Amino acid sequence: MTVLTTPRFARLLFPVAVIAFWYAGVAVIKAVWPFAVDVLPLPQEVVGAMWGELIDPFVEGKDAPTRDNVYLTFAISLYRLLVGFLIAMVVGTIIGLGMGLSKAVDAFFHDWVMAVLAMPALGWALFISLVFGFGHTGPILAVILTGIPFVIVNVREGVRNTPRELFDMARAFGVKQNRTTRHVLVPAMMPFFFAAIRYAFSIGWKGLVITEVFGGQDGAGWTLKFYYDAHRAHGVVGYAAFFIIFALLLERFVFERWSRRVFRWRPDAGAMENVEQAFDVAGAEGAMAASAFITAENLDDFTDEHKDQ
Amino acid sequence: MVTPVIEEQTSRTTEEELAKQARRKELISRWFWRIMGYVVFLGLWEFASGRVLEENLLPGPIRVFQTLGDLWADGTVLPAFGATLTRLFIGFGLSFLVGTIVGVISQNRWWDGFFKDATIISLTAPGLIWVLITAVIFGNRIYGPLIAIILTTFGLVTINVYEGVRSLPKDLIDMGKAFHVPNAGIQRNVVLPHLAPFLFTGLRFGFSIAWKVTVLTEIFASSSGIGFQMRIAQTLFKQDEVLTWILLFFFFALFLEKVVLQAFERRYFRWRQAVEAA
Repeated sequence: MTVLTTPRFARLLFPVAVIAFWYAGVAVIKAVWPFAVDVLPLPQEVVGAMWGELIDPFVEGKDAPTRDNVYLTFAISLYRLLVGFLIAMVVGTIIGLGMGLSKAVDAFFHDWVMAVLAMPALGWALFISLVFGFGHTGPILAVILTGIPFVIVNVREGVRNTPRELFDMARAFGVKQNRTTRHVLVPAMMPFFFAAIRYAFSIGWKGLVITEVFGGQDGAGWTLKFYYDAHRAHGVVGYAAFFIIFALLLERFVFERWSRRVFRWRPDAGAMENVEQAFDVAGAEGAMAASAFITAENLDDFTDEHKDQ
Repeated sequence: MVTPVIEEQTSRTTEEELAKQARRKELISRWFWRIMGYVVFLGLWEFASGRVLEENLLPGPIRVFQTLGDLWADGTVLPAFGATLTRLFIGFGLSFLVGTIVGVISQNRWWDGFFKDATIISLTAPGLIWVLITAVIFGNRIYGPLIAIILTTFGLVTINVYEGVRSLPKDLIDMGKAFHVPNAGIQRNVVLPHLAPFLFTGLRFGFSIAWKVTVLTEIFASSSGIGFQMRIAQTLFKQDEVLTWILLFFFFALFLEKVVLQAFERRYFRWRQAVEAA
């Protein structure tokens, strides 16, 4: 087998193909609409725009800045994200625990949680930007509203999935209440709690950016809108690339490491799944259910399949 | 209190009666709390309007209903829905096609490697990014929204089709071949029924993202549709119209997603309900 036929080569070929397609596409569109020249950025212009953003704070003697540099921008957004996220976690955990423990509380909140869960972030963004205008309140509220249903749903499922037998056994052997909580309840809740954190964070981030686009005067989303309004396509594409890079870094270096630390007591879940799938045709049903909720683990299973086979 | 009629029956029926009574009691309590939830939340909303926040900033549910009536009388609702739904069906139809093709050819390991990163980017990058980029490049032309919808949703279809094709029942296909079933027969009786649920899952989850992206793309790059109406209302600071459009489309999309598609699913996948129950 030559190098050219390996999947790895194909994977590396993809970005090359995208860039080639990019140049070709720009050439074609320019031929069809000659007036579109200004709005079609070439790859080198996009990279130039990104580099300009990155070195912006280190350039001496420039004019008074009209907007913040990329570091400050993302710091502002991250601050809003963290505050909103913490509030969503606290309130969501309380409501989720209530819903898991009591059927009345569950019936009380259920429909409303589902409605908020299905509401697009755009809806909140338009509404919030009119009510709160510029500042921190609106974006933080957007993070809470988009993130909280995921916390509630996951915590509720976590409470419902705690192993009753282990509690009974602990009581039978006279284990103290706080030790039961520490060794049974918390580990059983942990995967759900972790999923809650992850979803609330990534969905909250999307809600935050959209709200900043519509009602903000600083922050990452607003800067993207700034480039859009200025009709600078290379800036829009470059800033969009920052978003993707930011999300990937967060996923790779924060959540994956933390998840490995928190779940080091568990056997390798991914390996077990693969074994099951190899021996069980009905495993396909599970795979389908898994695709309903794409977590990073599922994504990695999906992408690393050939490595395991 | 036990009536004489029940005393005559066996103890087993009494137990059943008791269980039934308990279930009924639980159902009543559940519905009571559910209705309480609606009353409390709608009441809070109506109360907050004009008291916690100005009425222009937070119109209550009653005002939203009145606005809906006004908009309906204007005749702006149906054309807006028509424009949005056309865009949604064309865009998501193309996306479904692209996703299915990519999923099928990804059975080849080379193409799998090639499209791996494309699928991941489609699944993770927020729709807003594609909407803004295509809006800058294509302006109000139809291509922008369609490309944005395709790029945000094809990944979900792809992973489902990919899983479906990968788990095709090889033994059934082999058996069909051994008994000389024609290829068309195998495709129709084995391959399609196996792939259908996967395609359907892709359809349902893809749709739930597609309608949100469609509205978002209309806000930036279109002069018709629900997103465009929302944009106008927001620019004119008519919060009641903003809320009405949002809720209107929200409920309509939920209706399509939860009622229509699920009814469809139940009807066509009746034969696999045993599996789901297990």
